Amino acid sequence: MDLLRAIAIGVLFGIALYQLLRRNVIRIAIGLVILSNAVNLFLLSVGAYNGVVEAYAKAVGQRSDALPQALILTAIVISMGGFSMMLALLYVIASRYRTGDSDEVRGLSH
Amino acid sequence: MLTLAFPLLACTVGALAAVLPTVLPATTRLSSRALGWLLSGAPLVAFIYLAAQLPHLFEGHVITWQFAWLPALGLNASLYLDGLSVLFGLIVTGIGALVLIYAGYYFDPALSHAPAAGDAHASLASQGSTTSDARFFLYILLFMASMLGLVLAGDVITLFVFWEGTSVTSFLLIAYKTKDAEARKGAFKALFVTGAGGIALLAGLLFVAAIGGGSDWATILSSRDVLRASPWYPVLLALIAFGAFTKSAQAPFHFWLPTAMSAPTPASAYLHSATMVKAGVYILARLHPALGNTELWFWLLAVAGATTMLTGAILGLRQVDLKAVLAYSTISQLGVLVMLIGEEAPEAFKALTIGVLAHALYKGALFMIVGIVDHTTGTRDLRRLGRIWRAMPLTFVVCSIAALSMAGLPPLFGFLAKEALLAAEIEEVLPAMMRVILPALTVLSGAFILAQAGTLALDTFVTPPGAGFFKTVVDLPLTGEGRDDPEDVETIDRSKPARPHLKETLLAQDPPAGMLIAPAALAALSLVITVFQPQVFTDLLASAASAAYGVKVKVSLDLFHGLNVPLLLSALAIGLGVVVFRLRSPIRSVAGPALSMNALYERTLNTIDRLAGWATRTQGGRIRIYLTVILMALFGLLALFGNLSQLLSAPPFARLAAAPLDDLLDPLGFLRAFSLILAVAAALVSVVIRRDFLAILALSASGLAVAVLIALEPSPDVALVQVVVDLLSTVILVLALSHLPIAQLARAEALNHRDRACMLRNTILAVIGGAVVTTLCLYAFASRPRESVVTPFFEQNAKPLTGADDIVGAVVVDFRGFDTLIEISVFSVAGVGVFTLLRYAMTRREALRAQPEEEAPAPSQALFRVSPALYGIDGKRASPFIHALAYLAMPLAIVLAAVQIIHGHHEPGDGFTAGVTLSLAVGFWYVVFGFAGVRRRLRGLRPGLLIGLGLLIAVIGASAPMLLGGAFFSPVDFGAVLRLPLPEGVYFSTSFLFELAICLAVFGASLFIIDALGHPEGEAE
Repeated sequence: MDLLRAIAIGVLFGIALYQLLRRNVIRIAIGLVILSNAVNLFLLSVGAYNGVVEAYAKAVGQRSDALPQALILTAIVISMGGFSMMLALLYVIASRYRTGDSDEVRGLSH
Repeated sequence: MLTLAFPLLACTVGALAAVLPTVLPATTRLSSRALGWLLSGAPLVAFIYLAAQLPHLFEGHVITWQFAWLPALGLNASLYLDGLSVLFGLIVTGIGALVLIYAGYYFDPALSHAPAAGDAHASLASQGSTTSDARFFLYILLFMASMLGLVLAGDVITLFVFWEGTSVTSFLLIAYKTKDAEARKGAFKALFVTGAGGIALLAGLLFVAAIGGGSDWATILSSRDVLRASPWYPVLLALIAFGAFTKSAQAPFHFWLPTAMSAPTPASAYLHSATMVKAGVYILARLHPALGNTELWFWLLAVAGATTMLTGAILGLRQVDLKAVLAYSTISQLGVLVMLIGEEAPEAFKALTIGVLAHALYKGALFMIVGIVDHTTGTRDLRRLGRIWRAMPLTFVVCSIAALSMAGLPPLFGFLAKEALLAAEIEEVLPAMMRVILPALTVLSGAFILAQAGTLALDTFVTPPGAGFFKTVVDLPLTGEGRDDPEDVETIDRSKPARPHLKETLLAQDPPAGMLIAPAALAALSLVITVFQPQVFTDLLASAASAAYGVKVKVSLDLFHGLNVPLLLSALAIGLGVVVFRLRSPIRSVAGPALSMNALYERTLNTIDRLAGWATRTQGGRIRIYLTVILMALFGLLALFGNLSQLLSAPPFARLAAAPLDDLLDPLGFLRAFSLILAVAAALVSVVIRRDFLAILALSASGLAVAVLIALEPSPDVALVQVVVDLLSTVILVLALSHLPIAQLARAEALNHRDRACMLRNTILAVIGGAVVTTLCLYAFASRPRESVVTPFFEQNAKPLTGADDIVGAVVVDFRGFDTLIEISVFSVAGVGVFTLLRYAMTRREALRAQPEEEAPAPSQALFRVSPALYGIDGKRASPFIHALAYLAMPLAIVLAAVQIIHGHHEPGDGFTAGVTLSLAVGFWYVVFGFAGVRRRLRGLRPGLLIGLGLLIAVIGASAPMLLGGAFFSPVDFGAVLRLPLPEGVYFSTSFLFELAICLAVFGASLFIIDALGHPEGEAE
């Protein structure tokens, strides 16, 4: 299972990199979201306990590790904020330069 | 009780007082004269305070003051007052008060005869002070505070802070005439040179503090043996000397000082003569007991000082601008002072303190006189000035006294300074060779300085214009405040009897008495000290010299010590000086040195510019190319240093190979594998699919698969957040997409599958990146700890400490509550940021819209069209069924949110999910009813208000426990405290308040985002 997880996270990361390297700004935005998903998945997978029940005080049995979960919770929210900010920037840039091609967005003259 | 910080405080308060009147209308303000008199009270108070400490200091005591600045780092801001610092402190505050009085007159528009004097002063009809004057007073008082802090500083860090403060305020004062390119250039040069020195000084002082075992003076001064024995001694000495030499304009770093004369004359008098340039001298004198008395110290300071002394003396005589003459003679005197610190003899330190005070007195006076001449005649050009002593007799008298002191003639204080200097140079402690060379150089430069003093007093006031120059005035640039007026450039023909009066000289007249007070006071003091020899001055100089030397030094102010070597040398210097003065015309016509530091400086700056230009040429402006380079460099580094062979044969891989995929067989494992594959496959689809809209849907699917994976962890809270965030991301992505012009989108979309070479390169990079991350994951999974330290603590204490069943919720809201508060603040800022960014873009887009669209958007190309101004998708009115759904969704979302807030502490869900759920419902409405429809239906919805309310509740909720004796963010169940009758499972507690706050803030921020992206750009309104 660990092997499968590692490969999956690696592939997600690779896909994110590929998207980030493209010219179309929308694909770049997509790449960013996939990247944060991959990282969150990684964080979730390095918890100390392989839980079988959720992390509740009343639950009986091996609980899942609460610490990485809390961290991811914060990470998701912050990356959401960052993502919307980036999207707004892309939107402004795209409408200023009248293009969705990142290669045409260059120079400060516009 | 008054502490040592008091004088600093006084100057700072003065600085504030200088700016306050600018809020009043110009006509009701004080005149700049009155302002000058008033503000001079601040340094005067400081002066009196320092003077009051004198008796205590004369007994050999030291006064200190400390303030714990950063106790965790052991950093204190401390002040330290001994004989040396009080001498400098009195000079700073005393001359400071006089300069302020003088400046009030200097900036008075009524007094200026120069046509374009200053900037706006002359043209202002009102007699009130201008904001420009206020700016000057502010800068100079801030400088005063910095300078005072510098000399009073009790440790190296405090000293450095104030040191930089003087550099910055000096920059502001040099560039005071902001419209003058030369002034700006001079200011930058000064900042560049002294700033570089400041960095070196900091490094050197930190060395001293580290080796000496403490940063305060007492520790440093008592660890002289350790410091001098340290192998780092040459390094730290070089660093400190560099800092001191640049600040005190020692050759070859002297070149910034003459160009700094573009500052207003009161600033030049104060900063670039009496006080700031002495900072380097001060630090050397201060550190002398700790670092001095070595061969290196002597040679470094003696050579640099002697060179500077001679350079300044000779170059000064060549100047035609009065202020430049003064600048070079200042450089020369600074050289003298540095040279003296190098010598290990009580005589030298006696000469040092006398030299510091004498120079401050006569040079301050001379600068102010030059300012007066410049002000009344409109020029500072020596070739245009002359024969004005009848018109301004008082000024002439004051000037003569100061110039006599500068020339070193008895009975003035300057004579004593030169005597002491010469006496120090024939001390036994010096190497035999230097006992000859140094006096010889001193006599020579003394002669030149005397000639300079003669120039200042005689060429300006007595001799006819142009005397002392071979060249004529034609085509010579004017150096004064008055700008060149073609018709008043006149030729002076030396064959004819000199034309007695240029236009400038006719304007000459004595200034009002108030303007003369300051220079007169300083000049008079030069006389009083030697004639009456007040005991307080003797004690002051002796205690300063003792502090700098480290052992008690005796000082006497007697002018005549019998017929001895110094007296003879002094007489020789005076005789030689008279000769130099007579021969000034031929000396001036000798060509200047070929190599000038100024040219070197210019060349260095130009080279830096060129290199920068060359470096930026590699910046193509394509972001993906940058990213490619970064990734390639990263992978290259990994290949070089990553030790791959060892990595791949390491135990984790062996272990994984031994037990592969065994846990896939249980049902949970099977589900996990399935959702992993789903997440990857959907992400892959988002790469290969052609249409952007479908790619976004694929992304959304991938995100949901990740949510399933999280839910299987099992971790329901995080899974919920992941679901709502994934949905919200999709919604705003679609909204953004729907607003970009369709033609653009189609063009961008067409790019997706062009350019095979690029695709191949990107694929290779992506595969390598994926492989690296996979390896990283394998390592992390194989070597992760199986026992956590923190998690068991949370598990055991969540219920007893916070009353929460939900451990993750307890961590987020209670254990790491402060983190979460910051997190929602960041999210709120992001929301506000998106909103302002897009609103700003909207206004700018109006201009762009005016240009014709090159391609008309063809409806058939539409990817997905939400026209928010109209109704629903593709401009079609949504069906009644969808309407009904929308009306149902909103109350449902509200109930859902309420449940999550109330029960979030015990069941899955939290305030964040609640907030996003609500905003998703609103987003749904945007799609169904359109922008205008939502606005009409939800009129009272104010995102900004929601954010503010949320953050306010969060802070109040977190602070409330403090009222009940708890700490910030400690959990309290108010329901139990107030005995509220609440139903089972419902708590009115801090965590409930915090969840509510999170919900409100997140709802507000998401609304901002949706609102900004869903805005129809003026189509509907």
